[in-house]
Amino acid sequence: MKNNDNIKCAAKRYIYVWEAPVRISHWLNFLCIITLSITGYYIHNPFIHASDIIETTYIMGMMRYLHYLVGVIFAFSVMLRLFWLFVGNRYASWHSFSNPFRKEDRKTFFAYIKYYTFLEKNPPHTLGHNPVALVAYIVLFNLFILQIITGFALWAQADPNSTLYALTSWVFSIASNQWVRFFHYLMMFLIAGFVINHLYSAILFDFKTQSGEISSIFSGWKPERNS
Amino acid sequence: MGKLDNILKEYGVSRREFLKYCTALSGTLALSPAFAPKIAEAIEDDNRPPVIWLEFQDCAGDSESLLRANRPTVAELVLDYLSIDYHETIMAAAGHQAEAARDETVKKYKNKYICVVEGSIPTADDGIYCCIGGRSAVDILKEVGGNAAFVIAVGTCAAYGGLPAAYPNPTGAKSVKEILGNKTVINLPGCPMNVDNLTATVVHYLLFGAPPALDKFLRPKFAYGKRIHDNCERRAHFDAGQFVEKWGDEGHRQGWCLYKMGCKGPETFHNCPTVRWNEGLSWPVMAGHGCVGCSEPGFWDTMTPIYRRLPNIPGFGVEATATKIGTTIVGISAVVFGVHGIVTAIRNRGLVRKVENEFEDNE
Ligand code: SF4
Repeated sequence: MKNNDNIKCAAKRYIYVWEAPVRISHWLNFLCIITLSITGYYIHNPFIHASDIIETTYIMGMMRYLHYLVGVIFAFSVMLRLFWLFVGNRYASWHSFSNPFRKEDRKTFFAYIKYYTFLEKNPPHTLGHNPVALVAYIVLFNLFILQIITGFALWAQADPNSTLYALTSWVFSIASNQWVRFFHYLMMFLIAGFVINHLYSAILFDFKTQSGEISSIFSGWKPERNS
Repeated sequence: MGKLDNILKEYGVSRREFLKYCTALSGTLALSPAFAPKIAEAIEDDNRPPVIWLEFQDCAGDSESLLRANRPTVAELVLDYLSIDYHETIMAAAGHQAEAARDETVKKYKNKYICVVEGSIPTADDGIYCCIGGRSAVDILKEVGGNAAFVIAVGTCAAYGGLPAAYPNPTGAKSVKEILGNKTVINLPGCPMNVDNLTATVVHYLLFGAPPALDKFLRPKFAYGKRIHDNCERRAHFDAGQFVEKWGDEGHRQGWCLYKMGCKGPETFHNCPTVRWNEGLSWPVMAGHGCVGCSEPGFWDTMTPIYRRLPNIPGFGVEATATKIGTTIVGISAVVFGVHGIVTAIRNRGLVRKVENEFEDNE
């Protein structure tokens, strides 16, 4: 544990929970996902006709260019967050994953499940991620990684002699080109489903626990709680 | 100056035309035009290996493609009149005589002849679904292919099983490579294969004594190294966002991109747009129909529906598309969390009142 784990803001009794790289990665992911979803959907279904607007627009080319560029930024952002699993503070670290073999962790986990399903009124308090949300994030990051790998693999097909292709072409031994496209597209909807959940849960917990769920992802600070 | 020269003369092909052809071939092979004289030499050389052309579960489309190397072109001469010893569809011999001729070639030119295979090989029920002269296709292929210098699988059926191997594959159809595991197999998929690529592959072998560089699906890189989409003449319309929306609409008449009509050019590796068909006259996309991806492994199963961008999802009803399933997922999560929110809000009303009352009591 690093010794800045519990930096306290003396006056307000706040704890620094989300370090800068975590917040940067969070908001980069947010912007990237929005851009990638829109451009990606356009690439799947080009709904704007160039001639509707102006004859010479390079519209599909632009969408694809944006999609690739933002895809690269997204990959870096996800890598930054994964790196922070190993060097970040205790809230960002992989140490915060609940251990299914520990009774204590199991208890908190099921307490949250009960809370979500209205079986219990008050959720137990956690400063970092709540354990159910954490599972969702682990699934989500796996989706991110799959999106990045399939995305780069599809991109690399433009030049089968490229290094990128050499690095990613194994993907096509698992599934044909067409199915890789299909999954890349379908995963966007899974991520969109998560975004709805994520927004709702953040608002719910901010409201329910007054623990600064929303403000902390801007500022990094959360109010200290003993209970 | 030998046999070939006389035949060329007989067919009215001038030396000049022959050399021109050799230059074109160097282009197909992605070699410098400086190779043209060497190519001419290689073709003229009388040591060309004989070819045995086998046909199994196929439609003879590749043989047709071979025969349509139209006019007495050099391609036709190189492949057909000069070296093909056995070809069921076009040879003069028949019955036992033909079988005997094949056996003789196998024995006499062991490990020196080229074996071309057209069609997939059925393996279910001991391979009885395709027998020639009382022998099963597997049996013949193992003998003839096994003793060849190398094997060329022409057409998608021979290369990947093709139509016969498409779901549910009643005959247990397999590709040539699946039968001849450790043999050098060159795949020239396509429905049918393009004869120019076959000539080029054979000539590459004559020239360098080795098969051309292959990709991971064993296709020569010179022919399958780039996507249709990246060389398509409609590509500018794709980038400009100009798409055909309906067959025969204004865009279709203007030659716009067929992406929205399900063109599989973006996922298909082939040199159709550059080599083209019928002597470089045209090719499917140029003629106004989207690419169907016929040279990709398993295309019958993965490239369908032909007129849609992405495959239908089996097990989700007849026409469930990714978009439908995706929007359902998003819709369900919106409903679930919406309901959760409403219930929470209702439950909280009591809670807020309770806290307020306690607060007042404490005052
Ligand atoms: S017609 Fe097909 S191959 Fe040609 S640019 Fe459009 S999508 Fe690509």
